[in-house]
Amino acid sequence: MSKSVKLLTVCGSGIVTSSMVANKITEMLEDEGYDVEAMESNPSELETYLMRDKYDFVAYASPIDESILGDVPAISAICLLTGRGEDEFKEEVLKILEK
Amino acid sequence: MQILEKELIALNVEASDCEEVLRYMANRFVEAGVGKESYPDAIVEREKNYPTALPAMAFDIAVPHTFAEHVNRPAMGICVLKNPVEFHQMGAPEIVLHPKVLFMLAITDPKDQILILKKIMGMIQSEEILNSIKDADTEEEIYNIVSKVFA
Repeated sequence: MSKSVKLLTVCGSGIVTSSMVANKITEMLEDEGYDVEAMESNPSELETYLMRDKYDFVAYASPIDESILGDVPAISAICLLTGRGEDEFKEEVLKILEK
Repeated sequence: MQILEKELIALNVEASDCEEVLRYMANRFVEAGVGKESYPDAIVEREKNYPTALPAMAFDIAVPHTFAEHVNRPAMGICVLKNPVEFHQMGAPEIVLHPKVLFMLAITDPKDQILILKKIMGMIQSEEILNSIKDADTEEEIYNIVSKVFA
């Protein structure tokens, strides 16, 4: 049975960039045998999303208020757009998920 | 599935700052019927609050976009700047970047247009494609380069 992951992505509009990032992470994790459920949000909706649901991690492409994250790990996803440091991103995410 | 529109390609664009080039391109989106009247202001506002420049492998770029409510139909425009102007980095607004090429996006439904977004992502990560866009002599050339990406 595959392990399931709940991911929340954040970008300025809560649509375009977060969808790109969500898609990329979903493919990345499916390759590793994970089953991914991704939600997209923007910085002002972030708190509501975090209150409503429990996420395994947050990937952001716009600055976020880290104080509202609680114990949810957050990681910058800008590298997924530039292609610089994608491998490091993947390693970090896998580390988070193995915890 | 070509999303780039010929009339939304601009070469050798001269602008003194970020807002000027954003308005120039966004107005073309309105003229082409892609963006609503509110599109230019929305693009400028969104860029101020949530900048969209990225340090791509080849050189700095930017992907200005805004909410779907300002968009009539999905499209992409490309602007090659004559002189790079100051933008701020997506996710890290304290970092100043100097994009040479802008990929302005009009997206109505990201779920529906996810394949397009994937192709755009692939394109901005390709040094080869970015350089060929930057070095193109005509709008036609850019259109053909991007058509291959979306083929």
